Amino acid sequence: MNNGDAAPPLLSVENVSKSFGGVHALRSGSFNLQRGEVVTIVGANGAGKTTLIKLVAGAHVPDSGRIMINGLEVLRSEHSVANMRERGIEVVYQDLALVPNMTAPYNLFLGRIPRKWGIFVDERKMRIKTREVLDKLNVTTVQDLSRPISSMSGGQQQSIAIGRAIAWGKEIVILDEPTAALGPNETAEVERIIREVRARHGTSFILISHNLDQVRRLADRIIVIHHGVTSREFKREEVTSDRLVKAITLGE
Amino acid sequence: MTDTTSRRPLLTPKQVDMLRDYVPFVAISLVILLFWAISGDRFMSVRNWTFIAQQTPVLMLLAFAQLIVITTGSIDISIGSNLAFSAFLAALGMMWFGEFGLIVGILAGGLVGTVNGLIISILKIPSFVTTLAMLIIMRAVVIIISDGTSIYVTDGSISGGTNISSISAPWLLSLGQFPAIFILAATVAVLMWIFYEKTAFGQQLRALGGNEKVLRLLGTNVTIVKIKVFAAAGLMVGLASCVNLARAGAATPQAGLMIELDAIAAVALGGTPLTGGYGSVTRTIIGALTLAIVRNGLTIAGVPPSWSQVALGVLLITAISISLNRSKVDVVK
Repeated sequence: MNNGDAAPPLLSVENVSKSFGGVHALRSGSFNLQRGEVVTIVGANGAGKTTLIKLVAGAHVPDSGRIMINGLEVLRSEHSVANMRERGIEVVYQDLALVPNMTAPYNLFLGRIPRKWGIFVDERKMRIKTREVLDKLNVTTVQDLSRPISSMSGGQQQSIAIGRAIAWGKEIVILDEPTAALGPNETAEVERIIREVRARHGTSFILISHNLDQVRRLADRIIVIHHGVTSREFKREEVTSDRLVKAITLGE
Repeated sequence: MTDTTSRRPLLTPKQVDMLRDYVPFVAISLVILLFWAISGDRFMSVRNWTFIAQQTPVLMLLAFAQLIVITTGSIDISIGSNLAFSAFLAALGMMWFGEFGLIVGILAGGLVGTVNGLIISILKIPSFVTTLAMLIIMRAVVIIISDGTSIYVTDGSISGGTNISSISAPWLLSLGQFPAIFILAATVAVLMWIFYEKTAFGQQLRALGGNEKVLRLLGTNVTIVKIKVFAAAGLMVGLASCVNLARAGAATPQAGLMIELDAIAAVALGGTPLTGGYGSVTRTIIGALTLAIVRNGLTIAGVPPSWSQVALGVLLITAISISLNRSKVDVVK
């Protein structure tokens, strides 16, 4: 398909489907993501948005269809979270991003705890790196790194969750409703982080959001998913909120 | 102005939280003072404290095993039967291989724990049900392999009768006495603290208890971790069974009956929530010690054993109700 002159997209999802116990969570999902691009996925509750990103993240294996990264197909045997994280794809799930009883450094290093002599936790390294990440994101609200996450505000928690994704997600950062539980100031803060990281590091983002104003503020392209099918795709500048609502609710 | 000061609570929520952390320490101090007041020198004597120092280690090690599992939000009620089983295999191991055969007991404990872990994580049967079944099964297995008889540890001065299985290991018997048993227990306690606080696996226990789904979504193989958790707890039970063998001087089919409840109580008395995610080795030691002291104190005070059990139950509920932050608990099952 490639003519040689155009580089393949960073991520290409082609007609993936997934069902659980005979119920179709996703009938057919297709979209591309170019390097440095912000793509948002919008759709009604239960339309299949989270299933779609879980397939990209390796948390589920698609029943059919294929996922390509840099033009190379991800084989079934390679379809695991560990492998996708290895390839620089990180996700922040809506309610399942953090372990509440652990500190910020532990949450930032979940699944990648640095070790000394094979078995001991390298806490110093974790604290230094956590500071670095928070500084990089200009997050000044998280000061005490010895407190459990559960004692922090929603905005602070989300900063840490997004910080983890950005720290490890060299290629693609996927955010599932990152501001759904946040107030206006905290939402603005998260949006600032996304813009800055994209501008400075060229990170690509996939964003799920119900907030259409936010979608139009952040997205380059908007993918509409309706009843388990990625039905429409819009460029940000060519779409109005009314048009989006129509696409989300009616699939038109 | 007087209005605002009079309305201010006696302690800020943060101070209340700090106090909660100290409940186990306050409880043990009160318990000691109480029994000192009741029984005087009969309780507060070198002889009696030496006795307590000998009685606590087995319970403490079992409480460590329980702490490992409870931190992840699961529970292991098979440890009493596992104790009897492992002690028996330790004794058999010594009959087969000499002194180093004791290791067979530790490995046997680890094996039972691994089986627990496999059933829980692969068949996805809740830990309470799985380990309840193992509690019953392993007790039966001990009775089958022992044929209902005990294996005695002797100091070699008396030769056993022809019907009695015995192993001559004076070193093991002296290990069951103060100070050796105390030094052993203190060493294990230090190693347990390092394991629980400083190793990646120790932190993984807390994370698993905090939110298993998050770990899974981030690519941790939770199945393997859970098997390792129960295997580690089993190894600790195996170690406890060797100490129990030394202490009791025999591997009996009845060893460790109901002791799983003591181990859970010790962890709970240490202020560790049974819902997982949090825990402390130091406070678990205090919990085990409190339980041992209360049992000892009640006996010295002449309280009949059945009433002692009632008193221990009341103590447990009181301690947990004070240490638990109930404002944060929204669902009680």
